[in-house]
Amino acid sequence: MSAKSETPNPETPGALWRRNLPVWAALMALLALSAWAAYWPFGRIDTALGFAIAGVKTALVALVFMQLKHASGLVRIVAACGLFWAAILFTLTLADVLSRMVNR
Amino acid sequence: MSGADVEARLREPWSDLETDHDTAFARQRAGATFGIWVFLASEALFFGALFLTYTATRLAHPEAFAAAGRETNIVYGTLNTAILLTSSLTMAVASQAAEKGLFRRMTLWCLAATAALGLAFLVVKGFEYREDIEKHLVPGARFALSQAPAQLFFGFYWLVTVVHAIHLGIGIGLVARLIEKGRRDPEFLKENPQVEVTALYWHLVDLVWVFLYPMLYLPGRSG
Amino acid sequence: MSTTASPTGLADPDELDLGLPVSYLADGHSVRSWLLTTDHKRIAILYAVTITVFFFIGGAAATLVRLELATPEADLLRADTYNKLFTLHGVVMVWFFLIPSIPNTLGNFLVPLMIGAREVAFPKLNLISWYLNLGGGLLAVAALILGGVDTGWTFYVPYSTVFSNTWVSLTVLGVFTTGFSSIATGVNFIGTIHLLRAPGMTWFRLPLFVWAMYTTSLMFVLATPVLAVTLLLVFAERTFGLPIFDPARGGDPILFQHLFWFYSHPAVYIMVLPAMGVVSELITCFARRKVFGYTFMVYALVAIAVIGFFTWGHHMFTSGMSPYAALVFSFLSFVVAVPSAIKVFNWTGTLYRGQVGFESPMLYALGFVGLFTLGGLTGLFLASIPIDVHVQDTYFVVAHFHYIMVGASVSAYFGGLHFWWPKITGRTYPETWARFAAILMFFGFNLTFFPQFIAGYLGMPRRYHVYPPEFQIWNVLSSAGAAVLAVAYLMPLGYLTWSLLFGERAKNNPWDASGLEWRTTSPPPRQNFFGAPRVQGGPYNYHPEGVAPVHDQPRLPSQGSLT
Repeated sequence: MSAKSETPNPETPGALWRRNLPVWAALMALLALSAWAAYWPFGRIDTALGFAIAGVKTALVALVFMQLKHASGLVRIVAACGLFWAAILFTLTLADVLSRMVNR
Repeated sequence: MSGADVEARLREPWSDLETDHDTAFARQRAGATFGIWVFLASEALFFGALFLTYTATRLAHPEAFAAAGRETNIVYGTLNTAILLTSSLTMAVASQAAEKGLFRRMTLWCLAATAALGLAFLVVKGFEYREDIEKHLVPGARFALSQAPAQLFFGFYWLVTVVHAIHLGIGIGLVARLIEKGRRDPEFLKENPQVEVTALYWHLVDLVWVFLYPMLYLPGRSG
Repeated sequence: MSTTASPTGLADPDELDLGLPVSYLADGHSVRSWLLTTDHKRIAILYAVTITVFFFIGGAAATLVRLELATPEADLLRADTYNKLFTLHGVVMVWFFLIPSIPNTLGNFLVPLMIGAREVAFPKLNLISWYLNLGGGLLAVAALILGGVDTGWTFYVPYSTVFSNTWVSLTVLGVFTTGFSSIATGVNFIGTIHLLRAPGMTWFRLPLFVWAMYTTSLMFVLATPVLAVTLLLVFAERTFGLPIFDPARGGDPILFQHLFWFYSHPAVYIMVLPAMGVVSELITCFARRKVFGYTFMVYALVAIAVIGFFTWGHHMFTSGMSPYAALVFSFLSFVVAVPSAIKVFNWTGTLYRGQVGFESPMLYALGFVGLFTLGGLTGLFLASIPIDVHVQDTYFVVAHFHYIMVGASVSAYFGGLHFWWPKITGRTYPETWARFAAILMFFGFNLTFFPQFIAGYLGMPRRYHVYPPEFQIWNVLSSAGAAVLAVAYLMPLGYLTWSLLFGERAKNNPWDASGLEWRTTSPPPRQNFFGAPRVQGGPYNYHPEGVAPVHDQPRLPSQGSLT
């Protein structure tokens, strides 16, 4: 929505692709890195890296493709709420699951 | 857009607002964006709960999950991730072009590419399912792996990939609807909030897969 | 409904025919005009009809349960029939009556009116929501009645997935479908309240009922998807044999309980926050007072909605959950009591020096405050681990949650129904009957559920159809109370139906209440308002700031006409 005011010059198809193609290229590079890193012999670090890359990809898609970068404050709050409540679910459940595992 | 166009595009209750049509239409668009984002937040909790099930189970049985993760086909998985990420690119371009009411032909082609890539994903997934069934990766008496918790991994695998495929199927339907309407009515796609709503939903389905990729295809590759 | 088809559409025959548009009830009489309507007011009526049917289905099951429990022996029902009946009662009452009760009927009707809007933000979605609710409800009720389910409303695994031979899958599918109805309603209300408030209707001028609907919608949107997933997992494990929680293969049944209660604890607040909203409207109107501490009432609603998501583990103290997690959940459960207590203090503070009237809605509201306090305080007993371990799975727990869910929420629903009945239907009901029903409901409720606190504390376990004879006295009291309660619930069905047919035409603002919804005709026109409402001041403008209402003055709001 707000992107409209930020690009006053008439848009060309080229400009659209120039804005989005680099993101796609980065996503592909991250995917390749992710697949490659899974074979590194570092055990748990591989797993962490796999999910970290997924997080970076999510950030790229959300900010550029989903235009969260240009979205209104309200929409950003909604997106943040989704993440925050998922975090509540994860934190408190894993608090139980992990402390039960330690006890065992 | 001319005044008559905007008026035709206005829906209840935005058409009743005490403002001029352009302002009302802008608010209608903002409302659509806001509404779909609230729904996406809801979806984040939906898939969050599924991912939590996976996380808790994997923490309890790391070896079995590594052994099970090795059995999935990483080639199909990686290919499908690439397909979906590419479909997000075409969807994003279509949405951004439609938002400004520009390049109708390109918008239609991008939408068609998006739907085609979504279908390609499902085809690849179908091949993968066939291979999984042949390798006895369906939980039950004839399951291929000896560790019992490996069945939990594949219980999750089948459930979550099918739920994701259903979401993707809905997405393909929504995109196909836009293509059909956009082909018939040259003005349909221009500044239509439905394009953005469909695009945001599509991206979410893509993002779910982005997380499923390390969950289903990457465990146990190094060991 | 055809009774309201007056030639002018005006409800009050004393008013002049100003050529005003017809009421929403007169705006089309065909079945189609109801079943395909996008009018939020008509959808509210559709919801009211369906939840009333579900309420009496669930009530019938409860009646049989109470009849069986009148004696210690099994003389009316067999064990598995009893199990199926309390499951039917729980599932229907929770998901098909309580959850949609206030939000989808009163909320749907009133939210746009109260904020000065013509419609909800997504009218078609609103209608879809009703069909999802109806479809899910019919599916679940059909499964529960034709086949029966013996798991209890909680569907705990592994019993529900591995062992139970009853119609769990279909029931779960029905509840799953209804979940999407809740999400749709939540999206709709959040969108409406954010985007469609009338000019001048700022956030801190919103009536507390609207704030309650907003916070409830947050919970609809953020909690319901987790229930959907939980039930989907049960469905997949049962129907397709996909092991998720199966302990035989290393699965974790406690994980199911985490997911289930992540929804089902906030679900309690989904039931009680709307009730709080209703009661705030009633108490201010019938005490002729501004609400005491408006901003804190708002903060308390938001705090309950947010903190309510942090406390679910107190349902799981005896499940085998880690004791460290139990401590954290216990502490957080005590924290959520603080905003609830603030609300009770503020309601009583509102009554202080008020010109209190005892019309029937107010009787329900006062009953709510007492029953909610008792239910809330016994909740604190249960939030402390040692007492919970003692009374877990006894009638103490049953009594506690009925005080909240029936004593508080259902009282508030009836209170709200009576308060807004003239606005919704354009008819008045017989006030004497209504007062009698309200008082009877209060006494019947306490007679039913207070003995259960005692029986539970003495050790009577829930979910058994036979029990040791020493508990019989408490059960006889409880069953007798249930009979009184049944009469009290049937009475409104009678006299409200009577009022639809023969009731007097209602005035536009029969209670002289201050909200925007009273600034239009009873019943309102399709467009809700004549002209565009503009809001000049805050809610509950019953008297000037800082002054107590003068007693025996005519009950008129000081707020001027807003349209």
